[in-house]
Amino acid sequence: MRVEYINPFVESAFNVLKEVLDTELTRGELFLKSSSQPVLGVAAIIGFTGDVQGRILFDMDEKTALSIASAMNGETLSTMDDLAKATITELANMITARAVTKLSEQGFKFDITPPAIFTGKDMEITNTQIESLIVPIQMPLGKLEINVAVREQM
Amino acid sequence: MKTKTDFPNINERKPEGLKDDGSPFRVLIVDDSMFVAKQIGQILTSEGFEIMGTAGDGEEGVEKYKELFPKVDLVTMDITMPKMDGVVALQKIIEFDKNAKVIMISALGKQDLVKKALLTGAKNYIVKPLDRKKVLERVVTVLKKQ
Repeated sequence: MRVEYINPFVESAFNVLKEVLDTELTRGELFLKSSSQPVLGVAAIIGFTGDVQGRILFDMDEKTALSIASAMNGETLSTMDDLAKATITELANMITARAVTKLSEQGFKFDITPPAIFTGKDMEITNTQIESLIVPIQMPLGKLEINVAVREQM
Repeated sequence: MKTKTDFPNINERKPEGLKDDGSPFRVLIVDDSMFVAKQIGQILTSEGFEIMGTAGDGEEGVEKYKELFPKVDLVTMDITMPKMDGVVALQKIIEFDKNAKVIMISALGKQDLVKKALLTGAKNYIVKPLDRKKVLERVVTVLKKQ
């Protein structure tokens, strides 16, 4: 997977998270995965189609999702209700949109699908055709994993 | 007492959401994200604006506008929405009321659609993530331009 696809996502995730959460962030070690991996509990997913195909997954445990949603709403949310889900979805949307803008400035043309959010326990995701790169981001609120799988159009 | 007039008290600043006659500006929020709709609502109500209604897609937005007309001073319109997107909804609102004041709410990366919306008659746009200052600044600019 080409690194020029990945950097915009990492950069934009850092910028958006800093902006909306006003928090300190550190990036963990990147790693590649081609087999199945567990999903932490709350995962927002957005697909790409066009010059670049694939998807990005924003993966976190429920506690982290609730802390992020609470911080973004300025009130304490204690369950993953519709508002909490809408908040996490919007966060995924903002990060992805910003990255896509950067990529389209570099000449890659593609569209993104509306976001979807998965919640539940003991889930895993398997990519059979594209390997995915995982970027862990550590914040005082918890850990967020950005999981990107992209390839050029075949 | 000279001081009162020479040094206006900042605490007596009139909230941005009030018209000269003291009545609130009335806003319709069209957005499919509950989070964004709530965020805009909170920012605006904190400055005295009155939220007349919210709609979760373009179709509902157009209907609500017609229903509330002429009791709406401003519409905030998301661009990407199910059923009918914000640009089409904007077109329909402008067809119905050519003086409608609509501000587009956009994620970054939708420049083409924003441009199209501005050409169609949107008065301004705001790129997400939204912050209080940005939202109020754009809203007030649009409302002040008669």
